[in-house]
Amino acid sequence: MIRTTNLRKIYRMGNVEVKALDGVDLTIGKGEFVGIMGPSGSGKSTLLHLLGLLDLQTTGDIWLDSIDVDRLTDYEKTMFRLYKLGYVFQDYALVPELTVAENVCLPAMLRSDRKEEEYRADTVKILKQIGLSDRSSHLPRELSGGEQQRVAIARAIVNKPDILFADEPCANLDTENSSVVLDLFDEINHELKQTIIMVSHEDWHSKYFHRIIRLRDGKIVEDSG
Amino acid sequence: MGKKELKVALFLAWRSLRRGSRSSAILTIVIIGMCFTNMIFLPSLFAGIGQTIKTQIVDYEVGNVLVSPQSGDQYVTDLDATLDLINGMPGVERATPHYSKGATLKYRQRILGSSIRAIRPIDEKSVSPLYTKMIAGSYLGEGDTGEIIIGKTIAGDSSIREEDEFYPSLGGVRVGDSITVEYGNGYTKDYRVKGIFSTGWTSTDNAAFITWSDMELVEGESLDKAEYITVKTKPGYTEKSVKDVLMSYGVSPKVQTTDDLLSKAIGSVLQSFDIINMVSLIVSIIITTVVLFIVITIKTINSRKQIGILRAIGVHKEVIMHNYGFQVIILAVFGITLGIVIASLLALYLSIYPIVTPEWSAYMHLTPIDLVWNSLILFAAAVFAGYVPAYQVSREEIQSAMRV
Ligand SMILES: Nc1ncnc2c1ncn2[C@@H]1O[C@H](COP(=O)(O)OP(=O)(O)O)[C@@H](O)[C@H]1O
Ligand SMILES: [Mg+2]
Repeated sequence: MIRTTNLRKIYRMGNVEVKALDGVDLTIGKGEFVGIMGPSGSGKSTLLHLLGLLDLQTTGDIWLDSIDVDRLTDYEKTMFRLYKLGYVFQDYALVPELTVAENVCLPAMLRSDRKEEEYRADTVKILKQIGLSDRSSHLPRELSGGEQQRVAIARAIVNKPDILFADEPCANLDTENSSVVLDLFDEINHELKQTIIMVSHEDWHSKYFHRIIRLRDGKIVEDSG
Repeated sequence: MGKKELKVALFLAWRSLRRGSRSSAILTIVIIGMCFTNMIFLPSLFAGIGQTIKTQIVDYEVGNVLVSPQSGDQYVTDLDATLDLINGMPGVERATPHYSKGATLKYRQRILGSSIRAIRPIDEKSVSPLYTKMIAGSYLGEGDTGEIIIGKTIAGDSSIREEDEFYPSLGGVRVGDSITVEYGNGYTKDYRVKGIFSTGWTSTDNAAFITWSDMELVEGESLDKAEYITVKTKPGYTEKSVKDVLMSYGVSPKVQTTDDLLSKAIGSVLQSFDIINMVSLIVSIIITTVVLFIVITIKTINSRKQIGILRAIGVHKEVIMHNYGFQVIILAVFGITLGIVIASLLALYLSIYPIVTPEWSAYMHLTPIDLVWNSLILFAAAVFAGYVPAYQVSREEIQSAMRV
């Protein structure tokens, strides 16, 4: 469902060229729970952003669901992200003026194939699943970091995306909260056959991943699946 | 950009204003309201002043339409026929002649130069409301002889010393007193003061009136001529239309409406008002634009990362842009509403307690059209000021926004 060939991303800053990704070929299938690991600066975020249609590669191709994403217009990419992809970032970036439930609903509100009663019901269900049912009308600032990240995950999965991307979702969390998040990922991967691609540089996370892609200097140095 | 997207943008905007910083929203609304008031206040005050001046000129000087002798002539001749002709025209309420003569007024020790105006009281009453402005005694009657009515300024006040007077006066004339009038042609006569009026219009309050028949005695002949004729129009007729009718019937080659006269007389004053109005308008627009620009820019800068992430999860950039755009629109609507309330209250206050000077009394001449027009201008400026930063932030690369 995801395929890349010879993916390169070069950042130019004046005369200096940074090869953030230097020829990445990979294929990821449906239902996989993939961990992208490697030291800081090795290109993990860059790869995730390219796969998630948040950035443009310098050269190489990306196919998502057999679609050459280069052919999509900016608007089509936005719609692709809205309808097919979900994201969780290191920063939870919830809308501070929206309640927990409203934050979770937001992407669903924008979809023309979703009815209000339906996504409201889904929201209730998901909040229950992440253990925040009683906080649904709270504002994000009234929640702890771990709770906010769980809300961000709920927001990412409310539309039942084909692929869930997560860029160091546990970076700001302590071990206990990290485990909660990882268990949640494990659960949705198992129960919903949710494809998850997660970036991490914490070794202890690796036990959750079914497959680990290790990057160094923009190249894949290990792919265990 | 569908209905759904606009709905979400409005939802985000409303929530952001309701649950965001209350004080900054209120402050912004107050500033817009003040700018609106500033935009409205001076221009409508000037309009009010202009209006009171115009009213006084119509009431006490020239009527709605002024018929003057053709250039080169000193008088409108063939007066009675001319008056009959004018009075028969459609749209004419009444026409009344004026004839004045320079004279010296004497009362006790005081001597005062003035001009004595002759009127036909019955006709004059249909044109000028002077007869309602009597503060003592009564107005002239049609057949009065040897009677005069004088303005408050001429009458003076016996309690004010002569050297303290702003305008010279006869030093405290009262109704029933006798004053001596010596005309330029040497004719001298004592008149009994029948009434004293006060209009607030300086040149009228410095005038004295006698009947037409008394003036005929002064001139020693029957007066079938006038210096000018003032015409009152009927309600529903414009001054211009009556002027055109009078012109077309060849009443006189010189027929002018009040507006014709005003544009000559106070045109330059109105021009300087226009400049002041323009400055206050531009200043208000600039302040509103800058304030809203700053408010929205700060909002967007503080939320760059959040905006990046919202876009990442599939919120289209148009939704982001309209979110901030709607916030500005909502703030502007509240601000302008506040401004309308403040301006209306000011107008109400000034209508109850106008600023009164000898020449004019100032109230705010505020029409719904002024309010609508200024609202639209300010609204447009506000929307522009908000959408510029909103547009910019919504176009930023998702990547760089998220990396902040
Ligand atoms: N916008 C950018 N401009 C310039 N260099 C960048 C930019 N983004 C990333 N890089 C560089 O690309 C490399 C890979 O970055 P990144 O993918 O963020 O690494 P990781 O997520 O593994 O820490 C780093 O050397 C980083 O400095
Ligand atoms: Mg990274």
